[in-house]
Amino acid sequence: MRKTTQSCFLLIILLIRIVPSLSSTVNYTDPTLEPVVTENSVIRQKIIDSQFKCYERMNRAPPYKKKGLFCNRTWDGWLCWDDTPAGKITAQNCPDYFPDFDPTERASKYCDETGNWFRHPESNRTWSNYTLCNSFTSEKLKMAFILYYMAIVGHALSIMSLLISLAIFFYFKSLSCQRITLHKNLFSSYVLNSMFTIAHLIAVVPNPGLVKRDPVSCKVLQFFHQYMLGCNYFWMLCEGIYLHTLIVVAVFAEEQRLHWYYLLGWGFPLVPASIHAVARAKYFNDNCWMSVDTHLLYIVHGPVMAALLVNFFFLLNIVRVLVTKLRDTHRAESNMYMKAVRATLILVPLLGIQFVIIPWRPENRLAGEIYDYIMHILMHYQGLLVATIFCFFNGEVQGALKRQWTQYKTQWGQRRREHCSTRSTSYTATSITEVPVYLYHHDSNNEQLNGRYAEDSELVALKSGETS
Amino acid sequence: LPACLPAQHFIAATACQEPDYGWMIRHYCLKQFQLSMEGIGQRLWCDWDETVGTYGELTNCTVLIAERLDCYWPNRQVDEFFVAVHRQYFRNCSPSGRALHDPPNAVLCPFILLPVLVTLLMTALVVWRSKRSEGIV
Repeated sequence: MRKTTQSCFLLIILLIRIVPSLSSTVNYTDPTLEPVVTENSVIRQKIIDSQFKCYERMNRAPPYKKKGLFCNRTWDGWLCWDDTPAGKITAQNCPDYFPDFDPTERASKYCDETGNWFRHPESNRTWSNYTLCNSFTSEKLKMAFILYYMAIVGHALSIMSLLISLAIFFYFKSLSCQRITLHKNLFSSYVLNSMFTIAHLIAVVPNPGLVKRDPVSCKVLQFFHQYMLGCNYFWMLCEGIYLHTLIVVAVFAEEQRLHWYYLLGWGFPLVPASIHAVARAKYFNDNCWMSVDTHLLYIVHGPVMAALLVNFFFLLNIVRVLVTKLRDTHRAESNMYMKAVRATLILVPLLGIQFVIIPWRPENRLAGEIYDYIMHILMHYQGLLVATIFCFFNGEVQGALKRQWTQYKTQWGQRRREHCSTRSTSYTATSITEVPVYLYHHDSNNEQLNGRYAEDSELVALKSGETS
Repeated sequence: LPACLPAQHFIAATACQEPDYGWMIRHYCLKQFQLSMEGIGQRLWCDWDETVGTYGELTNCTVLIAERLDCYWPNRQVDEFFVAVHRQYFRNCSPSGRALHDPPNAVLCPFILLPVLVTLLMTALVVWRSKRSEGIV
């Protein structure tokens, strides 16, 4: 999940930035670029630590075996450099000692043709190029701030829209069916995921004091965060499996038993989250488990990606079946493609396929920024998108809301005439809400697949040849 | 003023004689380091928490002498010096035992593959069970 890594790195830069300014004591325009022993003890500790590791490595690594001139391995004061063949530029990631150093940028060192390290022409001292490390940091920090606030706003909007959708689903009993039950669970997991993400973004990320203290509560928060991430994607998988069973396996399905879905959606994500917690505590027990530099995160992200992959294949299968069904009706090609495209587009946000199709960040700076914005919108506004598409754009929901609205209007109108009449309006109100939903499904022109009688209405539409 | 010029020239000419630098760090800094390390005790030489202070002082010492002799720090002598120190004192220590790092692949892979396999199994199980419930009217 490289986008997570990217966003987490940016948030961590933010975290470091909020610490009272620890600027490096080196003047970068100065050609000497002399790594001085700095006053600040934390930074100094890190540098001494790296120095120790460097000399250890220099001691243990086997001597240079290849032919030709080479520059000897060396410690330049900040980073360790291996034996390099003459005439080559070697590069590695910038260190993270200073707040304005970006560890994703590269520092480089040139070994000249004579087998000596490059000396800066002005000072004639051995010099490594760290200029890229802090040259773009201010722009990146600005963007990190923007992305941070975007994430918080996205999750807040998602929570609001999802709660409204849940309220609608719970209030209108007439909408209830198995698919809506799955939607309710999916929406709940989105709400909880957003809540934990916001808690993490607001309480932990900008709070280096808390991270330094490393209480157990912030690790517990991370555990639940990982658990909710799993729940989110596994509920999406449940929706996919349900649709697949409904459409592909048996179109006129009897009621499926939902407890397996509950088990997969709520129960199973505990497994990767717990394994991750145990592995993290044992092998990579950093403060608040915030680091994203560890492959142990794949313990949670691996199953999530597997779930997405399986979902993707279910989607393809569903689309294949839909298109095949449509082809059998002998309708005009355009209609068929339209329906297929619409069906696919409805399912894509449902199944979170965008993470499967766009996992790689472009190298180009501008393209990378655009990628970051798009991925952040897709990630953090997903709850809003799902609520909108599956609740607010749902024809049945719109129908139910319209009915409720007209009912209120009649109530208001009748209340004005109340002092004239003794007739109660409650009888009329009850009778309206108890009318079964199938009488109204012909009104719905979107979301034919939602609701119990979806397959019926689809086949009716196909047979009668009406465009909807 | 003309008298100063030869003096300046003299100082510039003696700036950073690397052999002198090497000798000085071995005779001043290393002695202090040896005493401290003996004080810590050989058994604890691999314990970074114990030795970090002494190691830091050794580094500081080499920096100060570099400043005194108008040498750039670090340099070739520093590299050779520290490699020798590591060879003598930290030879038997586990490499980079301090830093957080991932467990070896033999441990990491099962940790990752197991949840993935269990996920696929669970998915297959749920698909199978939901298919089977069709038959149950």
